[in-house]
Amino acid sequence: MKPSVRIQQEDFSQDEEIKALQASSKRMGGIATFLGCARDFSEGREVSEITFDAYGSMALSELNRLRSDAIAKYALLDARIVHRIGTVKGGENIVFIAAGAEHRVAALEACRWMIDELKQRVPIWKKEITPQGESWVTPHP
Amino acid sequence: MIRVLFFGPIAAATGEREVPVAHVPGMTLGNLKESLAARYPDAMHLATMMAVNGEHVRDLSLLLADNSEVAFMAKFSGG
Repeated sequence: MKPSVRIQQEDFSQDEEIKALQASSKRMGGIATFLGCARDFSEGREVSEITFDAYGSMALSELNRLRSDAIAKYALLDARIVHRIGTVKGGENIVFIAAGAEHRVAALEACRWMIDELKQRVPIWKKEITPQGESWVTPHP
Repeated sequence: MIRVLFFGPIAAATGEREVPVAHVPGMTLGNLKESLAARYPDAMHLATMMAVNGEHVRDLSLLLADNSEVAFMAKFSGG
């Protein structure tokens, strides 16, 4: 089985990730997921593709810590996080987060918390490639 | 020697991803940041986050050990 936390260039399968999460416990009554995708339009410009740069070793360790923190904070049964780096075209997947808990509230809240924390804590940077040129993205809430 | 790492927008602005800097006893993170700001004035203003040996650090008075890995990082934009 693939590790629960990964940074990879290739696309991922949501079905495989959810099956892996479900396989970790039969006490799981709720699974919440977040899928982040590449938009083909941003700040009034067409975006043909996005490239991601990362401080790989630190990003992986921060993602693992984020998963452990979420499991402890929301009493999750399991959680998974996959983030792509390299080049991602408009409409393609960027990040997948899944939280599994006994009940839905913990799963939903943990999923929201993990994507918000990821944006604050994990050293990954996004550059948008447009017909007018390329620019690093300034984060917004 | 200190290994200084740049990524994303700061790597683009400096044209470097890794820069060796001689270690000086008593050197702090702030000292290192100041010397890099003089060398890369168009890039270091982006450095709002720092990490030493892969851990987030905010304290500029932190003493740097020889062979440390220090990253000066722009605000993250993953996800």
